[in-house]
Amino acid sequence: MNPIYAVVWGVVALFGVTAVYGLVWAIRSGQMRDFGRGALSIFDDEEPVGMVTDAFPGGQTADGETGDRS
Amino acid sequence: MNRAVFLYVGVLLTVLLSFTGLVSIPEKQLGGLQPLVDADGTQYPVPPTGMVAEGRGVYIADGCIYCHSQQVRPEGFGDDIERGWGTRRTVARDHIYDSPPLLGTMRTGPDLANIAVRQPSENWHLLHLYNPRITSPGSNMPAFPFLFRKVPVEVQVPHDALSFPPGWEVPGYSVVPSRRAKALVAYLKSLDHSHPVPEVPQ
Amino acid sequence: MNAATSSDAAPAAAWRAEVDASCAYPVVAFFVSAVFWLLFGTVLALLASIKMHTPGFLSGAEWLTFGRVRPVHLNTMIYGWGSMAGVGTLLWLQARLSRVRLPLQLPLVVGCALWDLGVAGGSIAILTGHGTSVEWLEFPYGWSFLFAGIFVVVMAASLMMFSARRVGHVYVSQWYLFGAVLWFPFLYVMANALIHGALARGVVQAATNWWFAHNVLGLWFTPIGLATVYYLLPKVLGRPIHSYYLSLLGFWTLALFYNWAGTHHLVGGPLPAWLITVGIVGSVMMFIPVTTVAVNHHMTMKGHFALLKVSPTLRFIVLGAMSYTVVSFQGSLQSLRTVNEVTHFTHYTIAHAHLGVYGFFTMVMFGAIYYIAPRLTGREWSSPRLIKIHFWGTALGMAVYWIGLTWGGILQGLAMDNPDVAFLDVVRHTMPYLWSRTFAGVLMAVGHVAFAILVWRMFTLKGRRLPEPASAPVVAMAGGAQ
Repeated sequence: MNPIYAVVWGVVALFGVTAVYGLVWAIRSGQMRDFGRGALSIFDDEEPVGMVTDAFPGGQTADGETGDRS
Repeated sequence: MNRAVFLYVGVLLTVLLSFTGLVSIPEKQLGGLQPLVDADGTQYPVPPTGMVAEGRGVYIADGCIYCHSQQVRPEGFGDDIERGWGTRRTVARDHIYDSPPLLGTMRTGPDLANIAVRQPSENWHLLHLYNPRITSPGSNMPAFPFLFRKVPVEVQVPHDALSFPPGWEVPGYSVVPSRRAKALVAYLKSLDHSHPVPEVPQ
Repeated sequence: MNAATSSDAAPAAAWRAEVDASCAYPVVAFFVSAVFWLLFGTVLALLASIKMHTPGFLSGAEWLTFGRVRPVHLNTMIYGWGSMAGVGTLLWLQARLSRVRLPLQLPLVVGCALWDLGVAGGSIAILTGHGTSVEWLEFPYGWSFLFAGIFVVVMAASLMMFSARRVGHVYVSQWYLFGAVLWFPFLYVMANALIHGALARGVVQAATNWWFAHNVLGLWFTPIGLATVYYLLPKVLGRPIHSYYLSLLGFWTLALFYNWAGTHHLVGGPLPAWLITVGIVGSVMMFIPVTTVAVNHHMTMKGHFALLKVSPTLRFIVLGAMSYTVVSFQGSLQSLRTVNEVTHFTHYTIAHAHLGVYGFFTMVMFGAIYYIAPRLTGREWSSPRLIKIHFWGTALGMAVYWIGLTWGGILQGLAMDNPDVAFLDVVRHTMPYLWSRTFAGVLMAVGHVAFAILVWRMFTLKGRRLPEPASAPVVAMAGGAQ
């Protein structure tokens, strides 16, 4: 038998194992129960909603004005 | 069970599914295709051997595929047949011995599926490779001078030197194709997909 | 405001600085390598472009012939620039979103060095005549084992972070990253085994080839690019994504449809009609995920376009997200047989591919590096002027490139489908457009050089120190939140 089949089926098995592991872990840890608040999960008290977190160096805008720095 | 089942299995299955659909099933359907054998015993297609196989290697190494396709589209789809690039569309059976198949996706230059039929002259091909502008004015194909060597005429005029049309001679030298140039031309002269196949009704 | 963070012991800024710091060495290694390959690939791109209209240019040496330079350009851009910038961004995003330190730092740095060797070795192999002429898989078979091996480390690091996450919710970007990191190795190993390992034969190799090549864009670059946009767009703006539901719908429809699209590269070819039709259906169905992404991004940006003047990151990712919309609709349309009949085999396809890999993915990666790098070094970018040169050079370059080759490609296709036009006349008609590409390439190259200078100064710590370590310049916007 062509040894390449071993590689192909090995990869398929690896994927299978990874998926099953992920699945078991996901069920146990009770994932995906709070879809609603998901969009806010990347913000926190020190980078809250309403804070712009990127600017040209020196806090300048493209026109050369200096923005307020917090 | 909750949504996580759907998510994890889904991520994996989506790609396995397309693998099955686009790769495994075609392999099952097309992998068993056999060559045709005519009444007189000649086989079509034949596996590339000798100089043809060597030339196929040059074709691959120098990337001809990036400007030349090797496939004739069906009648009524594009004008491949009207352009004289073939007498019939090409089919899967034409490529059963091609690994990898050199179908190509670009036609900066013309299709080569039937170049052997269109251009049977060996000298034409050699001149064209040495400098495409000799045979095809305005062509943007690269020249392949490194597939040739120049021999001063006072040393000898080799029997396989190129014969140039007037005005293109290299003064004082004759130009001799290398083995790789000859192999590439042997390969080009093997590209003939005009043999009738049952898949395309005459 | 958020249960997950308020329960954390450390203040938010402190853990963020710690997570960013843990990424420093591997991510900097991947970014610096990526920028090196970007410059290398740019040189090859210019060479190839010039050779198209001036075939005598450097034509005496075999290793510089068009058919070798072009695949090296593609492979250094895909596996060098794109994938390495993508992996760097992916690692940082996973660490940030999971709020854990980056694991496997040493193996990742070693992996990055080996990856560089792989791209260099593969490129030399192609230039010396050992390329395979299988598009997007030109590196000889042996190199694929190296990349697959390194990928195991990237995959492991990614899964370790994912499973050690300290956040209750799996953010939409993580789904995309999770998909990318699982899909790509599978695609890569399978395609190599089937084609270079000659498991499949004849035209099945061609089907496998385009299943793979299209999925490199669809299931590797696209999810990394979209994951980046879904994180950075709301982060930079300081407003949550417009519709979280749409973003997840977009993920699943992308996963379902994109990987079927590849065979549209073989319309009219010697393959069974059903196989091509599947590819066309998959391509047309892509209207759904693309529309969800376009609507979502536009609605998130709405009313905040003025910030494009403030934030370099925002400029690049918004341009990238817009290109994604255009390139995807274009892709769906050009898979249709009537359109494909004209555009297939022409420069139109090249313009389309660049709008995807460059206009979308590369622009998003530029934006990501502008955001991430200061947070790794604690330094500011050294020059607003160079950032502007970078932006306008690449943006205008891409526009000229796309318009020129799209238009030229349509004319080329129409002429080629008309048997009364001699083939050499078709070639002549395309010449002005091939020149326009070289012009566009020079604009992009100027942008890339500006970017490389900035990156060099950033990582040799030439920029001004940021006020707080590892935190970025922050502009408070009155009324930014709505």
